[in-house]
Amino acid sequence: MQKIYADFIHALRQQGLPISPAETLDALRVVELLGPKNREQLKQGMGLVLAKNVNDKLSYEHLFEQFFQFAETVEGDSAESQSVASEPYADQASKADEDGGEAGPSPQSELGQLLMSNRAGATEVAIAAAGDAEDIQNMQLFTQKPLYAFRMMNRMGNEALNQELSELDASNELADRRLAAGLRRAQAALQEQLRDYVEQQYLLYAQAKGEQLRENNLQAIKLTNVDYQYIEQMSRLVRKSAKRLASLHSRRRKTKKRGLLDVRKTIAANAAYDGILFHTRWKSTRIEKPRVMVICDVSGSVSRVARFLLLFLYSLQDVLPRTRSFVFSSDMAEVTDQFESLDIEQALAEVMAKWANQSTSYDKALADFSELALKDVDQKTTVIMLGDARNNNGPGRPDIWQKVYRQAGRVLWLNPEHINSWDSGDSIMASYRPYCSQVHSCNSLRELERILGNLLKHS
Amino acid sequence: MIIKHGEKIASPSIIQQAFEKFGYICSDAIATAVYLSCQLQKPILVEGPPGVGKTELAKVTAKYLGAPLIRMQCYEGLDEAKALYEWKYGKQLLYTQLLKDQLGDVMRGARGLDESVERLHTFGDIFYSEQFLQERPLLQALREPEGAILLIDEIDKSDQEFEAFLLELLSDYQVSIPEIGTVKARSKPIVFLTSNNTRELGDALKRRCLHLHIPFPEPALENNIIAAQVPEMDEELRRQLVEFVHELRQMALKKVPAISESIDWARALLLLNVSQLDQKWVGDTLNLLLKYQDDVEIVEPELRKLLNSVNK
Repeated sequence: MQKIYADFIHALRQQGLPISPAETLDALRVVELLGPKNREQLKQGMGLVLAKNVNDKLSYEHLFEQFFQFAETVEGDSAESQSVASEPYADQASKADEDGGEAGPSPQSELGQLLMSNRAGATEVAIAAAGDAEDIQNMQLFTQKPLYAFRMMNRMGNEALNQELSELDASNELADRRLAAGLRRAQAALQEQLRDYVEQQYLLYAQAKGEQLRENNLQAIKLTNVDYQYIEQMSRLVRKSAKRLASLHSRRRKTKKRGLLDVRKTIAANAAYDGILFHTRWKSTRIEKPRVMVICDVSGSVSRVARFLLLFLYSLQDVLPRTRSFVFSSDMAEVTDQFESLDIEQALAEVMAKWANQSTSYDKALADFSELALKDVDQKTTVIMLGDARNNNGPGRPDIWQKVYRQAGRVLWLNPEHINSWDSGDSIMASYRPYCSQVHSCNSLRELERILGNLLKHS
Repeated sequence: MIIKHGEKIASPSIIQQAFEKFGYICSDAIATAVYLSCQLQKPILVEGPPGVGKTELAKVTAKYLGAPLIRMQCYEGLDEAKALYEWKYGKQLLYTQLLKDQLGDVMRGARGLDESVERLHTFGDIFYSEQFLQERPLLQALREPEGAILLIDEIDKSDQEFEAFLLELLSDYQVSIPEIGTVKARSKPIVFLTSNNTRELGDALKRRCLHLHIPFPEPALENNIIAAQVPEMDEELRRQLVEFVHELRQMALKKVPAISESIDWARALLLLNVSQLDQKWVGDTLNLLLKYQDDVEIVEPELRKLLNSVNK
């Protein structure tokens, strides 16, 4: 019994529900309390301890239905066959014997006996047992389905059955032939049933695993190489990692009631109370969140990455509420308001339509930036540039970037190209590089997340 | 929590029926959650849109079990001093002033600093003892001799630090006060936490709780709820009202009407002697259902269509 619930929880985890051992124990206690009689109640009760947000609840409910569809028949039938002393089955079996010829030969192999016993419950129990023995939960890919079906069939004693069948075929007795035909039919039916079982197990355990594998790969893959069909999935991932950053770093930092006692201020504050220390004053260090300005190149040369960078930029506004965002190809424009007022799809579409895919001019863009925002750059500001520094052979105005560097607290340059291709062709990374606190090559989601995580941590 | 009447929480359906008598119509999921929470001694985290009866659930449970309800409203900046305990600074100050002379008497004749300090030590921590302790809701709930219902309302509004502070309380039903020691619950309270999901709560907190999500109710359930809350209302009008509100919830509004708003609206319609939903009455009372002018402007042009589908 417990094994079934443990399997269920394993399947839930495969679907991405974060279930801890403590919650597993809770779930078992819930089962104990509610009992398996009332299915709907049990579903709700276990849902209370296993699924802890609305999305998880939906996948939980879906999986519950899927999982206990099969498990129920196995459980129910095995319980019955044990408790009711299997009288009705005995009747049926004897009837089947009569149909199959009076006192005809009975199959010798184990599987044959099982098939001829005509007990649906028993075969399902046997299938489930074979599945367990073959570790069907560890199935990873859909190509493994036939393999598992084959192995399980063998585990159930298919070889012995085949042996027996060929022996029966060789015999000249009519009864033997009849038995062989019956066994063949039963064997085919069993195979069908087994394939269904494997299919179901695949849906329960392996499908989500494949998804996870793909998500992991997508995170590590170069942004320039992401296939168009994965863009949907990718944007979900971008949002996910931005959210992770947000939950890690959006803590409000306050140290008012703690810290070191500020003796001087405490004495001053209590002068009115006859020198009795009534109010305490604490020395606290306020940690300022960085003011960030992000400049994103959306020109033709980085067009493939630009979408993701913008996506990340958009999601980042939840983490860093005081982010100002700029985009440019040749003219630079501030898009903070668009990001704040529009929802993500609209904002991206508008930005891409208005500014993207034109030829790059860092000269013009940086000149614009110095007009737009240079006066607001101060020691508390972090400036992040997302761009490949490919400037169509223009000089690139590094003098402005130098000014930015002097005024800002920190200047980061994230280049989507690999470090080997910097300064090749029309890339003028070398002229900006001296005026950056850090330069990184950043061409996968994972790197982006790591760099920005660091930025937030050490701010 | 000492449950005086064990049979009161013997099964979810008993709870459901009893709540119905108090005018709180709940789904199976809610009854199961209350049942499990009582049996497993685990807090319930109730999430859902505003106005679906999250706070009401705690109130009705308290009423049903005959236990005191201790409520703590969370807000940004809530800290231990306001949630757990505080020293009565004023009293401490007053006492030190009054006892000044006595202190002088005690210290008189002491030779040297060492002896003075030695004598002071014999006082013990009088100024940090029970008499000077101001209990706040959490401590009060722990010290309630027969247990209590503790309602921690809108936990998502509090800071993350406070959430972390709650962990010890929720898993072991005890808290540590540095000057006094660990305070263990005399009898474990039943804890309800409510959240409107303005921010995602931490996994550690969620792990310790049963998670109950109360969605907007199905029309049939809402019909029952309004019947229980506004029994004088005509059945046909009630059906129309529930369907109308249900239709509104399908629209893309800033804030869709919740159950509490439908109840208010039902009361208003009753007061105005409305017998049938028509465009004039609905238009006049729409501001009871919709709390933003933008939403009213979206719904008004659609009124005729909505009413047609409801009145057929």
